[in-house]
Amino acid sequence: MAKTSILGLYEDPEDGAKAMDALHAANMDPNDFDVLTGTPYPEGAFGEHVPQHRLFRFPVFGAMVGFTLAIVFTAATQLAWPIVTGGKPILAVPAMLIITYELTMLSAVVMTVIGILFESRLPNFNPGAYDTRITEGLIGVVVSVEEGRESEIEAILNNAGAMETKRA
Amino acid sequence: MASRITAAAHDDRPTFQEAAADLVNAPSTAASSTTTRWFLILGAFVVLGVVGFVLKIADHGMDDRRAWGYYVAMVSFLLTTAGGAPMLSIAPVLAKANWVRPVMRVSQLFSSIGVLTAIMSIPLIFLLPPLVEDEVRRRSIWFGSPAYFPHIWDTIAIFGLVFLGLALLWASSMPDLAAIRESGSGRRQQWARRLAPGFIGTSGQWKALRIRIGVLSAFYFLFLIFTHVLFASDYIHALVPGYKDAIFPMYHALTSLQAGTASVILASYFLWRYGGFNRYIGINQIWNLAKLQFALSLLWFYFFFSAFIVFWYSRTPQNEKVIELFDQGPHLWAFLGALFFCFIIPMWTLMWNFIRVSMRGPAIIAGVIIFGTLLDRIRLGVGAWATEGINDKFLQVVPETVWPDLWDIFMFLGMFAGAAFLFLLVTRLIPAVSLWEIQQSRLISKPAMYMRSEVEIVGKPD
Repeated sequence: MAKTSILGLYEDPEDGAKAMDALHAANMDPNDFDVLTGTPYPEGAFGEHVPQHRLFRFPVFGAMVGFTLAIVFTAATQLAWPIVTGGKPILAVPAMLIITYELTMLSAVVMTVIGILFESRLPNFNPGAYDTRITEGLIGVVVSVEEGRESEIEAILNNAGAMETKRA
Repeated sequence: MASRITAAAHDDRPTFQEAAADLVNAPSTAASSTTTRWFLILGAFVVLGVVGFVLKIADHGMDDRRAWGYYVAMVSFLLTTAGGAPMLSIAPVLAKANWVRPVMRVSQLFSSIGVLTAIMSIPLIFLLPPLVEDEVRRRSIWFGSPAYFPHIWDTIAIFGLVFLGLALLWASSMPDLAAIRESGSGRRQQWARRLAPGFIGTSGQWKALRIRIGVLSAFYFLFLIFTHVLFASDYIHALVPGYKDAIFPMYHALTSLQAGTASVILASYFLWRYGGFNRYIGINQIWNLAKLQFALSLLWFYFFFSAFIVFWYSRTPQNEKVIELFDQGPHLWAFLGALFFCFIIPMWTLMWNFIRVSMRGPAIIAGVIIFGTLLDRIRLGVGAWATEGINDKFLQVVPETVWPDLWDIFMFLGMFAGAAFLFLLVTRLIPAVSLWEIQQSRLISKPAMYMRSEVEIVGKPD
């Protein structure tokens, strides 16, 4: 079923928190509404549902790939050209450390940046209802609602003290 | 016992709207005609530096190592100062320090100078001798690796560090870029649209922002130390025959933290004094940075002395030659300068509270430390690149003093101008003080009275 995005704008953060409470009380799915702010409020300040992030998976995956590549690269080249240096074993760990560390780190860093793009959903072509005044300090409560419930949700947002509501 | 904290004294911190007007709507509070003039002047010096580089190649080619010692010192200096500065936005944040917020962006902006470090590191690939020459392998940290491994991996490390620094700057600037996207104007707004197209401030995005800054910061620290160890080992340490010092690479890395702190203090002072940011940067930031600077200046001597005492006590001919090369002989002037400017002067000035609790005092000392770091890098870079007999067991002859020629001076001027140019250029797009950091600080702190003194109450929810 098609969904409509409704945004309530609040001057006072307390009113935004009240709107979030009212949406919880109306048995809305926590994944269907969120708070938009121009500055990072302490987590849970609005009683919002904070989605699980997957950001740590990216550097861990990158590090594993980089580490594996580095081990394969250094071991394979040393085995393909076996020269004993200073009486040390052909596969000497200290000689492999620098490249292993560097490739592990680089791969983790690159995957972290890719993770940022993925987690931030950049570019976001369909952000839902939005108002530029959020970057000027207003609090936005955005709700994704099924057709037919728009008026009910707008009433909840207005009752909490919304200075304005808009649909997208 | 009941708390004696009472109602707030007056709160003169900028409101969200005032901060947005200062930091987002205006690209820079400095007059644009003055800024343009500065760009032209700095650009002219950059061109002079490039001319110096070209003429240096024409005069000496790239095989005469002795002629390129000052160039190595320049890259080492950039890696030390600009590379170390972003650490200031990492270490205090781990300790949840609230005072650092106004200068966090200043420290991250130094990542932009990394572009110059990366570009200037490219000629080093052609200057550094291979590991094997005339079928003789020289001593290095690369054991039996192919002859050009340090050229490849050191360059990748420097470029990786620069990429990481820019990623950290971009990630932490995204909320401000989103604000510029909505409220800015002109070309600045167009750039902001490209760099932060999807950030709208959902709770998930703010959480991801915090985590990504934390992850990138941790990587930056790990990579900074690693890059310094590689650079110090391959471009200085391994070129001096018989030089064996386990502390030296860490000395190179640690002085980066000292010089990075000095760079942030100096930049913060200029932004406070001339940039129109005096409502955001103040005595609280400079005072706390000065305390760090004091501690790091003591560590400078600790690391230097730990290495020196082993060489001095051993009295072997190899070690005496190394001391003569770096500390007593041809570069005594640079060593004394580094000792005075990086340790003695900072220690005997910053130990006094009345100097730390001032805007000008720590800024002057920061300038002194940066100059001392430059002399230190000249001592090490020029000294190491002037030696001969790279495959010998130890240094046979300590070289004469190498003085900079005209082309070196041109390149020095170009390097300083290029660094300032890049820093100013990035501040045209990204506010030099972070709007969201300032606003979050305002949300979780407030001025109050404790009996008869003014204090700040800070909430630390994270």
